Amino acid sequence: MREIELTGESFGADPNRSLTLPKANKLPAKEIKGFRDRIMSWYGIIAFLLLWQMAPYLGLADGRFIPPLSTVLADAFKLVANGQIFIHAATSCQRVLLGLLAAIVVAIPSAVVLAGWFPRFTKFMSPLLALLGNINPFALFPLFILLFGVGELAKFAIIFWSSLFPILNTTIGGVQNIDPILLKTARSMGASKGVIFQKVVLPGALPSIFTGLRMGATTAFLFLIAAEMLSASAGMGWLIHNSSMNNYIPRIYVGVVGIALLGMLMSLLLNKLENFFLDFKEEVKLD
Amino acid sequence: MKFNSETLADLFYRGGSIVLFILLWQLGCSSGFLPMTFVASPLSIVETLWQYLKDGSLYKHASVSVLRAFYGFILAALVAVPLGFMLGGWFKNFERVFNPLLVFLGQFNPFALFSVFLLLFGIGEFSKVAMIFWVAIWPILLNATLGVKSVEPNLIKLARSMGMGKIGLLLKIVIPSSSAFLFSGLRMAAGTAFFMLIPAEMMGASRGLGWLIINAQINYQIPKLYAGTTIIVLFGLLIDKLFRIFEKGLVNWKEAQVI
Repeated sequence: MREIELTGESFGADPNRSLTLPKANKLPAKEIKGFRDRIMSWYGIIAFLLLWQMAPYLGLADGRFIPPLSTVLADAFKLVANGQIFIHAATSCQRVLLGLLAAIVVAIPSAVVLAGWFPRFTKFMSPLLALLGNINPFALFPLFILLFGVGELAKFAIIFWSSLFPILNTTIGGVQNIDPILLKTARSMGASKGVIFQKVVLPGALPSIFTGLRMGATTAFLFLIAAEMLSASAGMGWLIHNSSMNNYIPRIYVGVVGIALLGMLMSLLLNKLENFFLDFKEEVKLD
Repeated sequence: MKFNSETLADLFYRGGSIVLFILLWQLGCSSGFLPMTFVASPLSIVETLWQYLKDGSLYKHASVSVLRAFYGFILAALVAVPLGFMLGGWFKNFERVFNPLLVFLGQFNPFALFSVFLLLFGIGEFSKVAMIFWVAIWPILLNATLGVKSVEPNLIKLARSMGMGKIGLLLKIVIPSSSAFLFSGLRMAAGTAFFMLIPAEMMGASRGLGWLIINAQINYQIPKLYAGTTIIVLFGLLIDKLFRIFEKGLVNWKEAQVI
């Protein structure tokens, strides 16, 4: 009984004191934890890079085929110094972004409209869409070249085609897989179709849309390299192809890592976008 | 099987669009709207396929390719499923350490690595399997992680509040709830494994479906090119179907939905 009285008393007596005290204690600890977290996410990459550097010296790998990181970095620095890498990176980024944006603009609205408004037509079309998505763009390369020549248009078409179907099919799946309880609840509360679309269907499908976007971006990068290896005079894929033809091995790795970094930048942007839009989802903790 | 209007409607939904597409394609080819020089008509593709089937080359190439895709896929699944579960929620620190590295490695382009694999493993069987492994591992990993992360938090809280241990939590809550994701990851990976047959068999193969396509492409035999593509697509769909059947049998707790 006395304890209850005591807490009640201190709570009522000085609210400012109880508020400021833990705050002053917590701040530095939180800062340290945040710093540790940031460091932690780099451990894996640092270990990998160290292993890469050491492997040829330790005899784990053949230095001719896997040159140490320092050799690769030296070559990368040369390319940065004479500005060549920026030309290649910019060319590749432009190609990917154009193709991907076109695919997004076509795929997301049509998928949402198809799955949301015409479920029967979608059911009718989905086998065909799955089939078309399964067709290997690689096999269509000769066709694209014949149709669009070897210029920019063919590369755009390849990237557009290869990233269109992942986005389209995932978005359709996302709209179809919305929790039926949510839809039933909204409907039973008398929400109109427009409100259901805006408040349930779109937020419910957003995770899938982002999955589709990520898949589309990955495929776009994948086929960008293939397209640039086919016929180009600039771009990261051309860089790799050219160095591999000339047996200039460090530069192959520069290209590989450069593309990986570009792809990471893309997925970082997508993550930022996703976090911005998907702030309603709770994080799962198992431990 | 009873042949009533319901099965007819089902059949219509399942194959109607594809039949329509093929009919339009054939019509476009035979009317001359689609130039024969680079669009083979469905009839000529079927003819080529029949020829392949008759002289036994279809079996020869398909068996080699299926085995390659299978090895790559199995290796990827063996690595990625446990890793994905660990990353998804068991060891938060583990995820923090490895996720950035995996994101980085996941961006390594298989076409770009093509040259590297060639240098490391030669042009033998292993480099092809390595390439398929490399592309199949990422969808599984991504989906396993996503599946564990998307487990309904209330279920976990409920199970824990009833005193369920970690193993029980894994077996009774996490695996069943994430199985839908896991299966779609495996399904995608199997699809990708077939997908990468063409580039993988570009590195100096002498047999296989991918080789068939590359060979047709180089020799400019358009019907053969389409026939090879068709076989790979059919295999991809077959695998997809098999996985969906498995999925239906195993992930049966989810309610079907009507919009």
